[in-house]
Amino acid sequence: MQNILEVHGLQTLYGESHILHGVSFDIKAGETVSIMGRNGMGKSTTLKSILGIAPPRSGSVIYKGEDITRLPTWKRMRQDIAYVPEGRGMFHNLTVKEHLQMAARKNSRGETNWTYDQVLEVFPRLTERLTNKGTQLSGGEQQMLAIGRALLTNPDLLILDEATEGLAPLIRKEIWQVIRQIKDSGVSTIIVDKNIKVLNELCEQHILIVKGKVVFNGDSETLNENKEFIEQSLAV
Amino acid sequence: MDTSLFLVQLLNGVQYGLLLFLIASGLTLVFGVMGILNLAHGSMYMIGAYLAYYFTTLTDSFLLAFIISGTIALVIGIIIERFLIIHLYKRDHLDQVLLTVGLIFIFNATQSYVWGNDPLGVEVPELLSGSIRLTDIVEYPVYRLFISLLCLVVAASMYFTINKTRLGMMIRAGESDRAMVENLGVDISKLFTIVFAIGVFLASLAGIVSAPIVSLVPGMGEHVLISCFVVVVIGGLGSIKGAFVAALIVGIVDTYASVLLPQISSMSIYLLMALILLVKPQGLFKN
Repeated sequence: MQNILEVHGLQTLYGESHILHGVSFDIKAGETVSIMGRNGMGKSTTLKSILGIAPPRSGSVIYKGEDITRLPTWKRMRQDIAYVPEGRGMFHNLTVKEHLQMAARKNSRGETNWTYDQVLEVFPRLTERLTNKGTQLSGGEQQMLAIGRALLTNPDLLILDEATEGLAPLIRKEIWQVIRQIKDSGVSTIIVDKNIKVLNELCEQHILIVKGKVVFNGDSETLNENKEFIEQSLAV
Repeated sequence: MDTSLFLVQLLNGVQYGLLLFLIASGLTLVFGVMGILNLAHGSMYMIGAYLAYYFTTLTDSFLLAFIISGTIALVIGIIIERFLIIHLYKRDHLDQVLLTVGLIFIFNATQSYVWGNDPLGVEVPELLSGSIRLTDIVEYPVYRLFISLLCLVVAASMYFTINKTRLGMMIRAGESDRAMVENLGVDISKLFTIVFAIGVFLASLAGIVSAPIVSLVPGMGEHVLISCFVVVVIGGLGSIKGAFVAALIVGIVDTYASVLLPQISSMSIYLLMALILLVKPQGLFKN
């Protein structure tokens, strides 16, 4: 299977503080990958470096065989990458319907895999909230809208930062269900989350980041073999 | 004041207010979406008026002058954003003031150099030069009604574009969280160029259509800029709806004050602003 994403030696700094110390990993097309780690270890920065939001000082990002390290963020997104940021990125002055309408577009091959109606089918809760502003929604609804909005760009690679953080258990379950559905549709996905149990069962590949370095990179089987080490690294 | 004079002044006030809206809407749009305070916005009003003068004289047709001047204004807007304003996005407001005040000097010097300092005028286009009979003794110039109508059409199109189209949604989203708009694959720099060019175009459009009813003098841009600031502050910074309501209030108050209270007419709109800010410190429509 081909790699959809190859990350080589990312060194990323925020001002003076050195956050990523040579992060490298590959992701195969169609796979679902978890990125784990304690807060402040560089998970979000890794995603932001891949997306060009926090451009790395050195290292490279190869996407579908093409070096995108120097591309502006919006151009990377146009190559069918979608991003659900931590905090969800709701617009306070747009309704739920408008969030979906403004984001919707065909992918770079001109395909439409996700339509407005399909997204509402997956997230029926949003149907009742169509005229509400994005920031008037509950945390769970915001997360659903953020994912729905990302899907309407018809991505090949979906990046979810803190997919279920701060959500009620029932809502979490609903979100995981949808992520499973997205996985089944063949979209490659990177998920940052803390729920090892769900990630273990859902993802083919797991990456653990500690202090800006990849300290573990393996499949679920290897993850189970190293469970103690992983749990130790995640414990506060 | 008798009824007919009252009516004429009301129409004048509304017309002046709508014109102010045209200018103020561009100012508030650019500020709201891009966070840029363009002090040279009034200069674009002036340039619009002088371009209209130049091309009306050259082509003998106000309509042609209207089209050519409007197009030039759009191009000027694109050039200013691409080459100058683009450097301001990551800087503070002081740098914005320095750059845009610098632009005022450049535009004023250009105006003075090209057209001189004597007052100039543009004739009302023949097709619109007549008057409409309002009552037995009162007539009202068709051209002023035309300005009001044009401003209303522009206001309605702006309302439609901003609230109903995808471009409008992107513009509003950019107001809320520009990084997220980029995350959705939108070229925010192109979006900003469009918004800035629209702002410049609106100010110039006001200058173009005003040319036949005002005298073209140096400094006309600054005068109108100050009135626009009053409108934008009363309406609420960044709010287009607020600018519309505030512009009408300011237009009507200014017009009536100059007839009824000529002694204080020059300060009437500032008094109005002070009063409104006392009750609503964020303006009528907080954005």
